[in-house]
Amino acid sequence: MNDLLIAGGIGVAFGWALECAGLGDPPKLAGQFYLRDFTVLKVMLSAMITAMLGVFWGGRLGMLDPGALYVPETYLLPQLVGGLVFGLGFVLSGLCPGTSCVALASGRIEGAATMLGLFAGVLLVGFAFPAIEPFYRSTPHGPLTLQRLTGLPYGVAVALVTMVAVSMLAWIAKREAAR
Amino acid sequence: MRLVRGLGIGALALGLVAPFAGSPSRTQQRGLDLDSIARAIDEGSDHVSARQLAKWIRDRRPGLRVIDVRSPSEFHDDAIPTAENVPIDQLAKSRFAPDQTIVLYSQEGAHAGQAWVMLRSLGVTQAVFVPGGLADWREEVLSPLLPANASPMERARIAELSHYFGGSPRIGGEQEGEVAGAAQTGQRSRRRGC
Amino acid sequence: MRPPRPYAESHATGVCLGLVLLACFALTGQGLGASGAFASVASGVAVAVSPETAVHSAYFRSYLQDGSPWTAWLVVEIIGVLVGAAASAALAGRTRLTFVRAVRPSGGRLFTGVAGGMLMGVGAALARGCTSGLALSGGALLSVGAWIFMAALFLAGFLAAPLVRRLWP
Repeated sequence: MNDLLIAGGIGVAFGWALECAGLGDPPKLAGQFYLRDFTVLKVMLSAMITAMLGVFWGGRLGMLDPGALYVPETYLLPQLVGGLVFGLGFVLSGLCPGTSCVALASGRIEGAATMLGLFAGVLLVGFAFPAIEPFYRSTPHGPLTLQRLTGLPYGVAVALVTMVAVSMLAWIAKREAAR
Repeated sequence: MRLVRGLGIGALALGLVAPFAGSPSRTQQRGLDLDSIARAIDEGSDHVSARQLAKWIRDRRPGLRVIDVRSPSEFHDDAIPTAENVPIDQLAKSRFAPDQTIVLYSQEGAHAGQAWVMLRSLGVTQAVFVPGGLADWREEVLSPLLPANASPMERARIAELSHYFGGSPRIGGEQEGEVAGAAQTGQRSRRRGC
Repeated sequence: MRPPRPYAESHATGVCLGLVLLACFALTGQGLGASGAFASVASGVAVAVSPETAVHSAYFRSYLQDGSPWTAWLVVEIIGVLVGAAASAALAGRTRLTFVRAVRPSGGRLFTGVAGGMLMGVGAALARGCTSGLALSGGALLSVGAWIFMAALFLAGFLAAPLVRRLWP
């Protein structure tokens, strides 16, 4: 029960933040792919850097244990293909699974349309699963992280990712200021 | 934007200092703590059943590391899914983070048990081993005997576990010694696709 | 109706989102998610509609084996997302009630919405996650798969964008 109360609370905060950023608005999200509106990248990169640094420094200060966190497993091919297909869908609908809920919650019927499509897509995969299962389970690499892949220490990987992400944000800021 | 610039600088600072912050997983060199080792053996907290390991793998227990201590050629022949191959002579040089759950196994369990003591003497207390090794895995997980006197739900669960790893249960009348191994410590794992 | 307030500053909101994610890590040991909620509910529907086929699919089975798919952690979280977003929009006057304000999207737009959703459903199922669960949460933990997914996502998006320019005037 506790588990679910936390789930609900985290969800509320999650949805609130997404809506505040304007990510429930399809033209805004799609605008990212026309380099008109960089909200998606700004929010995603800021959030990722914050959480990544939080996990790293939380670990160093003994407040949480990064080693106990669940790292999503890497499946090279399915995630590559999945990403391509997902990106296509994203640009068509202007929403992603989480933001489709935000869109619906702020009264946009497009959100419902995307959610319907999502259910249909997942059902399709589920029912076709016996056929695609070999592909689905191909190229597994377990919970592979950048540091395990490159052999770099955790701290160095964090530094590199921070530098790349902040550079991207700086580039975006410069581009927007030039308008 | 002053705020944004501040955030950017803060992030950059925290990020660039990160490599110099030292490592959290320092294996402490302690001596052979015979008392605690004997206690662990006595209590049974030194090992887990193959079935318990199977559940941990299926439920993607956070921080789980399955270590095969046999030679690389044996490992290539057949191994437990998600296992890493760290032959026993390289075990001492490996590093283990404090909150990982290390599960050691070998062919029949003897070498894994010895590896457990070795790691224990190096201060690695978060390891356990599978007493019956790969043989137990095949016997208990891949082709388990569904006990006739267990509840249908229990039999379904054992069968489900077996199927998950690509095995198939045997239906028989013999009573199985052990059912649903040690209690699961740590948080309840949630079914996630994320 | 309240006049709509402008959206919050992106970087600061992103940091807030990152803190929510961090809290999630600290409290549950795992990250956020969204597509998993859809998969869970879909599994529930599949089992209700056609139990034999559903059980034959290892995909659905995986969402059915830990208690009810309707009250999975992710499903409750996604309900929270709906509530939080609704509250935020309402308080800021940004709720755009489609039928009240008659800002109705065209049939074509709704169709591409469904089509896009289907593609995303397939993509997220294959990748075991979406932008929230895999990209954001996995990315924060430096998961290689997360970065692969993200790179592929943006690549496909940027490549396809010119082809669907008419959708987004």
